[in-house]
Amino acid sequence: MKLTPDQLHIIEISPGEKIFLEGAAGCGKTTVGVEWLLFLMAQGVPASSILLLVPQRTMAKPYLEAMQIPGVSAGGFVAAMTMGGMARRMVDLFWPLVADQAGFARPDLPPTFLTLETAQYYMAQIVTPLLSQGLLDSVVIDPNRLFSQIIDNLNKAAVVGFPYQEIGERLKGAWNGEPEQAHIYEDAQQCANHFRSFCLEHNLLDFSLQMEVFTRRLWHLPPCRDFLNHTYRHLLAENIEEDTPVAHDLLREWMPEFESALLIYDTDGGYRRFLGADPQSAYSLKEQCTSQACFTNSFVKTMPIEALENDLSEILNPESHKPAHRSENIPKNQSDPRTALAHGFFRYYPEMLDWIAGQVQELVQYGLPPGEIVILAPFLSDALRFSIMHRLEDLHIPCISQRPSRSLREEPVTQCLLTLAYLAHPEWKDSYPLSKFDVAYALMQAIGGMDLIRSQLLSEIVFHPRKNVPQLTSFSIINPAMQERITLQLGDKYETLRLWLEAYQQEPPQELDHFICRLFGEVLSQPEFGFHTNMKSGEVTANLIESIQKFRWVAGDQLVQAGKSTGLEYLEMVRQGVIAAQYLRSWETDINDAVLISPAYTYLISNRPIEVQFWLDIGSRGWFERLYQPLTHPYVLSRHWETGRPWTDAEEISASQDTLARLTQGLLRRCRQKVYLGLSILGEQGYEQHGPLLSAFQRLLQQWQTEGEM
Amino acid sequence: MRLPKGFQFSQGSLQDYVDCARRFFLRYVQRLAWPAVESEPILESEHYAQLGEQFHKMIQQHLIGVPAEKISAMITAEELREWWENYLEYYRQQAMANQTQLFPEIILSAPIGNHRLMAKFDLISLQKDGSLVITDWKTARKPPQRIWLERRLQTRVYPYLLSKAGDFLNNNHPIYPEQIRMIYWFANFPDQPEVFSYDRKTMKADQERLEYLVEAIEMGDEKAFHLTDDKKHCQFCVYRSLCGRGIQASNLDTDEESVEDITSFDDRLDIDQIAEIEY
Repeated sequence: MKLTPDQLHIIEISPGEKIFLEGAAGCGKTTVGVEWLLFLMAQGVPASSILLLVPQRTMAKPYLEAMQIPGVSAGGFVAAMTMGGMARRMVDLFWPLVADQAGFARPDLPPTFLTLETAQYYMAQIVTPLLSQGLLDSVVIDPNRLFSQIIDNLNKAAVVGFPYQEIGERLKGAWNGEPEQAHIYEDAQQCANHFRSFCLEHNLLDFSLQMEVFTRRLWHLPPCRDFLNHTYRHLLAENIEEDTPVAHDLLREWMPEFESALLIYDTDGGYRRFLGADPQSAYSLKEQCTSQACFTNSFVKTMPIEALENDLSEILNPESHKPAHRSENIPKNQSDPRTALAHGFFRYYPEMLDWIAGQVQELVQYGLPPGEIVILAPFLSDALRFSIMHRLEDLHIPCISQRPSRSLREEPVTQCLLTLAYLAHPEWKDSYPLSKFDVAYALMQAIGGMDLIRSQLLSEIVFHPRKNVPQLTSFSIINPAMQERITLQLGDKYETLRLWLEAYQQEPPQELDHFICRLFGEVLSQPEFGFHTNMKSGEVTANLIESIQKFRWVAGDQLVQAGKSTGLEYLEMVRQGVIAAQYLRSWETDINDAVLISPAYTYLISNRPIEVQFWLDIGSRGWFERLYQPLTHPYVLSRHWETGRPWTDAEEISASQDTLARLTQGLLRRCRQKVYLGLSILGEQGYEQHGPLLSAFQRLLQQWQTEGEM
Repeated sequence: MRLPKGFQFSQGSLQDYVDCARRFFLRYVQRLAWPAVESEPILESEHYAQLGEQFHKMIQQHLIGVPAEKISAMITAEELREWWENYLEYYRQQAMANQTQLFPEIILSAPIGNHRLMAKFDLISLQKDGSLVITDWKTARKPPQRIWLERRLQTRVYPYLLSKAGDFLNNNHPIYPEQIRMIYWFANFPDQPEVFSYDRKTMKADQERLEYLVEAIEMGDEKAFHLTDDKKHCQFCVYRSLCGRGIQASNLDTDEESVEDITSFDDRLDIDQIAEIEY
């Protein structure tokens, strides 16, 4: 790759410099970062002494890939981590030195680190009794969303750097609605207090406590500080604008210790604000650096895209609009943003999806690689993901979806495994009465070649909830005509499964994850069973097993002491939607050869410029509005909001406008050629929609039409 | 064979290839999750794996400066306490603190073929006489035979990689094979460590073998990744159902032929395991 003189200057700057590099997306900052890293290693700096700090793991990808090529010199390995990852690692290593002073009740016992799932579980255990006492009674949302918002508040306190005891006061101070509703923030505070006390009492560390123990305790403890200073001598911090104020505070103190550093700042970023990202605090690190550089030329955008970005920005947020990168003297025919736009307007949502699939097909037929196309939506529901993927797969176009989370419990494979788990454990009968349909659905998944009609016929005959005890009877007692209808081959497989479950019941019950592991290996993945050739079933089963295992390792001992079954408790939690509601994919799919379907923010964070973008459903207010989160607030729980100042509607609108302007600008700065706009008058839910993004495009097109007529 | 983007070879993946090329294909090329039982008894295997992991962490804590008594105070399992005391005794015998420079939990990587080879070392120590010792903590329940260990790719990869990529641990001086020793230290059998010395001839042979394996993998099409003829490997392989090679996992304790504790050696290091995860 040919580097510009500006890029080369930074890469080869004298050793010992601490550089602050800023610029918009697409200006070549990450390229400099990668080359800086390789240059440092080529100069003999041990890779293991370089810390690559990223706000999110995916952002380390270009660096890790660059270091994995054979040409990179032999040596150690660059440590790529997030601040959260570092906190977790340090707490784990130095726990014996910090547990006591951090206030844990059993400093003589090891810590238990909570995942988001297990934190949600404990929050549910703690908050549910409080809800029945009347706390948060006026908040009408799904309890699981309520639990996650209380967890979110604790996380915000930890990463913004204020005492968690101030959460309620800050939120209440900003409340601008009915005064009698303000008590919900006191209630939310009470829930957070109970949760934190419980964690301290049982050595449980959720993300917020990991961060607090690290930043407030360990960071000031000489053995930990010495270890970090000794291990990491050079720093590369990527996308610091997406990191949190506490991470910036720590870097501010740490900077003098590094021999060299490169801090990379995206001037228009801050997309992770809902996770505590703070571009302002990141920018203050500029003063810590001995050298500053600013890139302004985009390597990505074409002139029409640039014109589109400017015009859209002017419409969406005229007050803060700065045509900073607008090229002078753009020929008129190249500055018309309409040449970078295509659109399809429809009445019904499915028509819009059909149009998108058709346009994608056309592009691919004309030679555009599928990997150069992204389909973006403000949110990506399972239904929407399925609808698009189904259409593209029908057209034989490879596609993948990128979502931070997907519902594990909704997967047919999961439902099959959990139904079979209930069947194998008759003692759990009171928890969930299985229906014939549950069994039919499970059999259809479990046995290769079993269709819904046969599985329903079979379950009607063989499934008997006798005395409320679920039981399967033998295929051999079915009348021959029906046996033939179901087929003997399928009957044989059913018998194998039934006998396996029966044999299992003769032995002492096993852990639920072990049961599923065995069931998968010994039956369901065997030849002629449903999971044998279904490769995705292995992935879903592995994710489920991992989820159960983590739950058991964290909560198992306490549940056993309380006389409860860990497996049954897990199943209960799944049914209530507390856990298994989301999971991360175990392997990151190689996305280069497939059309990417992604929520807009997830795509932005992946830092991947692309030829063509499809913006789905531009009439949706989802492009503009925040999620409804009555118990938390990303702006109020930041360092820039004065406690006691009310958050008004005007501020909400202004923030939403700013968010939409940043979002569209960020997307366009990652687009090389063209944006396709999809609109349906009736949205996914069937309601008419006319959001601000649609209005902005209408205005833009009208302006250019008028200009053309003049 | 086109390997996934970012794929790096490790002793674990190469061992998989040697044991069964099909297993390598399924695990590293297709990245197929197949969560069957690997070895029985499952609960005991899990318990042992957890203890082993805890033991490694305790040693790392100790070597980076957490006082031994603070670590000892946190032990709850009797077996772990025994391992820990054995380790402390070994540490004292070796006088590690005074005589050497210690590099615990370090990762090294070097080019091989069109890819890279990497390994995570439990401990590398630079001795006062200029030699470098690789120590690998093992919590195997049975002491493995020396000949079996000698053939393991771990014994081949680790010294090779230290010589190739460890200069920075030797004050930026080249590391000659003769300077390297590799020790397998067994927490359950502290008096029976297995020590392997290294020399130029062995290193040359190792290099040729490693390059041969990597080339075979890079050049082979899917058909080249055939199932092993040695069905014993299938007894402890999660893919047995996919390959039609059996139903249940074998029992490590009762299987007389399986002398070695395969699972405790099965270090399947890859980039996803090394790098931090997002919380």
